[in-house]
Amino acid sequence: MKINTGVACCIATVLLLLSCDKKNEDLTTPLSLDQFPAVIVLADEGDGGLEDEDKFSFVITLSDRKDPDGQEPGGKIIPLLSPATVHFEITSFEGFNKLSDYILDASAFYELNDCNTEDVDLTFDVNTGKGTVIFPAGVEEVEIEFETDESLFDDAVFNTDERSITIQLTDLTGNTGKAAVNTSAAFVYEVQDDEGIYGEWKLDINDPAEFNRFKTLFGLVNEDIRNLEVDDVDEILLEFEYEEVKAIVVLKETEQIDDCGSIDTENKIIELEAEIEDVDDKELSGEIEFGEILETVTGSLRAFVYTGSFEIINSKLKIVLRGEFGSDKTEVITLNLEK
Amino acid sequence: MVTIIANAQRAIVKGTIRDAVNMEALTGASIVATGGNLSSVSDVNGHFTLYVKPGDIRLTISYLGYSDTTFLLNLREKEIITVEALLNSRFGQLSGIVVSGLMQGQAKALNQQKNADNIRNVISADQMGRFPDPNAAEALQRVPGINIERDQGEGRYVLVRGLAPQFTNISVNGEQIPSPEADVRFVALDAIPTDQLAAIEVSKTLTPDLDGDAIAGSVNLITRMAQSKKPRINASLAGGYNNLMKRGNVQGQLQYGQRFGINEKFGMLLNSSYYHNDLGSDNVERSPLDNEVELRDYELTRTRLGLSSTLDYRFSKQHEIFFRTLYSRFTDREWRRRYVFIPEDDEIEKLTKDRFESQSITTFNLGAKHNFKSWFLNYETQYSYGEQNTPYDNEIGFVAGIPSQLNYNNPKFPTIDAPGFNDNTNYEFDEAGFGKTIAKDRNLTAKFDLGIPYTINKNTGLIKAGAKYRQKDKSYSIQQEYFSAIANIPTLEQFDEAPVKSSFFDGRYNMGRPLSVTSFINFFNANPSLFQPELEDMAIDEALEAFDAKETVLAGYLMAKQEFRRWLLIGGFRYERTTVDYQSKDVVIDGGGDLQQIIPVSGKRNYEFFLPQLNVRYRINKMTNIRGAATFSYARPNFGEIIPAQEINQEDGIATAGNPDLKPVSAFNADLLGEHYFGNVGILSGGVFYKRLNDFIYRRVLFNSSYPLTGTPYIQEIDVIQAQNGNRADLTGIELAFQNNLRFLPGLFQYFSLYVNYTYTHSSASLQSRTADASKPEEKEKIKLPGQAAHVGNLSLAFERKGLNARISLNFNGEYLSEVGAVAEEDIYVKNRVQMDVSASYAFNARWRIFAEALNLTNQPLERYMGIKSQYIQREFYSWWGRFGVKFDF
Repeated sequence: MKINTGVACCIATVLLLLSCDKKNEDLTTPLSLDQFPAVIVLADEGDGGLEDEDKFSFVITLSDRKDPDGQEPGGKIIPLLSPATVHFEITSFEGFNKLSDYILDASAFYELNDCNTEDVDLTFDVNTGKGTVIFPAGVEEVEIEFETDESLFDDAVFNTDERSITIQLTDLTGNTGKAAVNTSAAFVYEVQDDEGIYGEWKLDINDPAEFNRFKTLFGLVNEDIRNLEVDDVDEILLEFEYEEVKAIVVLKETEQIDDCGSIDTENKIIELEAEIEDVDDKELSGEIEFGEILETVTGSLRAFVYTGSFEIINSKLKIVLRGEFGSDKTEVITLNLEK
Repeated sequence: MVTIIANAQRAIVKGTIRDAVNMEALTGASIVATGGNLSSVSDVNGHFTLYVKPGDIRLTISYLGYSDTTFLLNLREKEIITVEALLNSRFGQLSGIVVSGLMQGQAKALNQQKNADNIRNVISADQMGRFPDPNAAEALQRVPGINIERDQGEGRYVLVRGLAPQFTNISVNGEQIPSPEADVRFVALDAIPTDQLAAIEVSKTLTPDLDGDAIAGSVNLITRMAQSKKPRINASLAGGYNNLMKRGNVQGQLQYGQRFGINEKFGMLLNSSYYHNDLGSDNVERSPLDNEVELRDYELTRTRLGLSSTLDYRFSKQHEIFFRTLYSRFTDREWRRRYVFIPEDDEIEKLTKDRFESQSITTFNLGAKHNFKSWFLNYETQYSYGEQNTPYDNEIGFVAGIPSQLNYNNPKFPTIDAPGFNDNTNYEFDEAGFGKTIAKDRNLTAKFDLGIPYTINKNTGLIKAGAKYRQKDKSYSIQQEYFSAIANIPTLEQFDEAPVKSSFFDGRYNMGRPLSVTSFINFFNANPSLFQPELEDMAIDEALEAFDAKETVLAGYLMAKQEFRRWLLIGGFRYERTTVDYQSKDVVIDGGGDLQQIIPVSGKRNYEFFLPQLNVRYRINKMTNIRGAATFSYARPNFGEIIPAQEINQEDGIATAGNPDLKPVSAFNADLLGEHYFGNVGILSGGVFYKRLNDFIYRRVLFNSSYPLTGTPYIQEIDVIQAQNGNRADLTGIELAFQNNLRFLPGLFQYFSLYVNYTYTHSSASLQSRTADASKPEEKEKIKLPGQAAHVGNLSLAFERKGLNARISLNFNGEYLSEVGAVAEEDIYVKNRVQMDVSASYAFNARWRIFAEALNLTNQPLERYMGIKSQYIQREFYSWWGRFGVKFDF
């Protein structure tokens, strides 16, 4: 039997071609990071302000992208190369009848640096709640600020009804590059009642027992508070904000602050911030829990948490807390504060 | 008085030994010249060379199962005579057909073992064809002392004599091949189809001319070569069926070989094979520490493509060159659909993975053999490349806030009480992972062997020396992208599809409608603004796993082989020097679990070994040998253990660090084996072996260590986990094998033959105790070596008469420690497994044969447990699968 080697080679080649390996059968390739568009998103899910606030704002920004230089392994914002028009809309509101009763006007800007901002073009219809804002090239975020009627909700009654505004991004036009806008997320602004727990509460530093209880409670996590002398303190505040609480110690000692070229003399402060995990803010009494993660001197991180309850009677706040900082704990401590 | 014959006074007898009927080369034949101790052994192509004293000589060629053949030759000084020996088989007369393929295959294997210089097992192509073993790993499971690790029911890694895969050297045509996988050196042998191979040799003791990094042994895969001017075409075509998936499979092979020209100087062999297999498994897994259960439904499509060629040219009786190529490509498309029940979080995850992976191995060997009047020189260069390419590895996860209760009263099948877990409307999007990786391993090798034959008092001797240079470049790169939702992705029912199987675990669990990865990716591509990349996770994964490594090996050896009456001594030494350079990255994660820093790092290390080797064979009679060996060997660490990549997780207080200073494991090996061969092609053998492993590598915890371990520490107290060299480990074992036909039995029973082997091993390794802590860090404990099964064996009964061959085979893999846990109670073991396969063929004539095979008839699962036997952590079932086809030989 005479066999042509070419025939054999051909057969071998056919076998090779037959070897489809199902690599691409029923396969859709996902967009890679390089193909992934720059996505304009709401920077936050929400914010809140006291009922007498005359403005509120939300921020739109760009999702982090892979750093092409590799300097920021966790990614960074890569600004747009050409401007885009972002459409937004107040999709719902509660606690009032007509949008224009509360929203008076709107404007937008971005930060040039820590001291200066630059306005950007914005359109907004206070009747429909629809607007557009230019997201300029080279910018990381744009803030849209609404002027509000500060008197609409400002009363002396503790309100438990919802008073909020929900904003969503709806479209993106005009961008010549590869950009998109997230339309699924929402920003909710909540009007907070200053007859409830929100706002500033002042501790009576002239009451030595109260002062010492404050030191014991928050000195657990802050060495400066632990070593406080009452003679050094001007005032102590506990400030409840949207999802955040601050213990602020204003010292008598002052310092020179350079405020964008203007030198001001201000009191030094010690500030301890924590995230509110849980609070019954629709009640005048209830449970509260807040905490944070702190970096220790060795570089490792330790979490602290304060849990307890609060009660508001006649503009006086009684808050009962127990602190934990790693394995260190405080007793249950009661603080009394006033608006 | 000792007489040393000078080389100049010699003559050479060269020859080829073939079967007289089918012209197959006979491998391992014994060629003995007058006087008894001038001898040689035919190689895999039936070739031999014998240096003799000029004058009249009687040349006797012996081969198990064949009649001895004697030539009377007269040689002048410096004359070269070529002998073409055609031996007559004794099987044909016995079995009633022309030649029995099985018996001839068995004969080839046993003749090579019998006449080998060292302790060696050989599987011939014919034998591989008789067992239903589609890949090299599964063929090797039939060898005494070998067990295999399986993946989805198919053999993948080889464990020789109870030692993990990294202790075995894998070669193609005598040269080490690279591993396509990322961080290891060993080769997944399911990538290599048996159809491509002429033989597999397993050397259990080392001679100085073999690579020294082979503590367990050395596996050499030998590709085929053209034999005669008559064109030979072998082909097979088969179709099959997988019972679990209810799907077919297809297999084909075509081989062409022919020698051309005057004196058949030029030979060409081309071989191609292809195997397409649809398979799957039903899997249940449990995590006892977390009280979690997973149900996994696997669907796979695997293909194996093999292409090989051998071109050789014989310039003269003395000089020849060859060029061998091998390309094998294994592809694996896998869909993994699973539930993860997490009662502690009141959550159930539902995920689907769609992954494609290809492993390819390419080798080019160019070499030459020169037989000069008084010495010989062989040299060879090899380029080999292994690659594992995963162009996509996509997994989409959804999660439901559904409580579940898990009950383990039946430890084999946990009871799951989770109302509504099949309702896809309950599942919200969690995360999408899109990965792609590529691992590359390239070897460039050059070597030579130089031999000077001599005789002392009519006893054959050989002095041999050689050197080798190998440069290895290995790298791994990974691109892993994770995406989470910014908000509001549709629930899972929007992306589901029909199940691929009608039932899972015979209806014991309801997997519902699975998530379709394709459907989800279509949505993802259409709505990218709904997703955000998790860049930090990507950066961590990519930095931790990627590396580049370069390794240079320089080796040389000097050995002598001397026959003396009934004795054969092979002794010498080998020197190997290895230089390694690595580049990778450190990943620092801060106390909050966030990525803090990625730091490029590099490492370098040199090490060298001087390895004395001694093998002794004592021939009690023509059919009986006693063999002994005392050898030294070593094993290089896996790349994953030595690359300096480190993860410092301050949140968990644990740092995982590579160890570029890790020393290779060194070993002393002692072997003693007795073997008796039966003239009707059989063997009875028994032996013992002992291995002492020094600097055994294990995972050590350095409690409350400063970090980094060298230089200025920037972390004062952290537990550092690092592969380190331990004390010694001891391994002892017994190997028994019997293989013969049962012709002494009456009637039809005389057509049966038996193939049985059994290996017992025992090991003990001394490590840092798992109960050690900062107060007693040096506390020791003894464990079994991971991968060491006490009992491994095969039992196979075959019936062969008038063209009919039927075989039932049992392969037993004993229980072994798979992973060493943080405490003994967390050690993970793989349970015993006995697989039963049957195969049958009928030869209509010497050219046509039909065959049928069925595997895993008893549906043996892969079972793993943690700590105690009843605490199963994995049970995976595959059902049975089979093939039916035709083979022809022109």
